[in-house]
Amino acid sequence: MGAEIITVSTDTIYVHLAWHRDEKSLVNVKYPMGSDRTGELSRLYGVLDEASGNALRGTFIINPEGVLLNSEVNYYNLGRNIDELMRKFKANMYMAKKANEACPSSWKEEGDKTLVSPGADMVGRVHEALQKS
Amino acid sequence: MSDVIKLGHPVPNFELNAYFPDKKDFGKINLDQLKRDKKWTILFFYPADFTFV
Repeated sequence: MGAEIITVSTDTIYVHLAWHRDEKSLVNVKYPMGSDRTGELSRLYGVLDEASGNALRGTFIINPEGVLLNSEVNYYNLGRNIDELMRKFKANMYMAKKANEACPSSWKEEGDKTLVSPGADMVGRVHEALQKS
Repeated sequence: MSDVIKLGHPVPNFELNAYFPDKKDFGKINLDQLKRDKKWTILFFYPADFTFV
C-alpha cells in the first residue's frame, strides 16, 4: 500500500528480536521494529515519559514528502484502535489525490461520501451535503 | 535537528537501528530513504517490548 509502518520503543533491537520470537501474537507482524535507545525520537514527538524512559502510545502519519499529517497519543493503559488508524491513514492517502475533498467522520474507504470543496455554501448545510449522492 | 514537530509541516529526518522480522535480521531505517521510495510512514510508538501494543 506504499507505506512503511515502523514500531518504535526505547528497547534494544536484541529485545525486539527476542520478543518477536517468543510472543505468539506477533507471528504475523512483519513491520520493522525501531530502537530509540536514547529516547531522542520519542522526545521529539512528545511521547517520551522522562521518568520511566518509556514511549507513550503515539501514532504519527507522515506523507511521502515528509510532512506530518496526523498525530494521536494515548497514555499508558489505553490501547489503540487499528481500524481507526487505518481509516485515518486511508483518508490521508485519498485526500492527497483529491485535494478539494474532505473526509467526514463517517468516511471509511474510497467510494464513501466526501465533502467537495467545503466553502461558504456549506456553512450550516453539512447535513444536506452529506445526504446528496 | 529542529526540536518541534507540527502538523502540516515537514519533520526532520531520523535514523533508527531496527530489527526486521521479515528478514530475521538487524539493520537501519531512515526517513530520507522512505521519502526517496515515495512511501508513507507510520510511526507507532509503544512503551516496552513484552507488553501489549
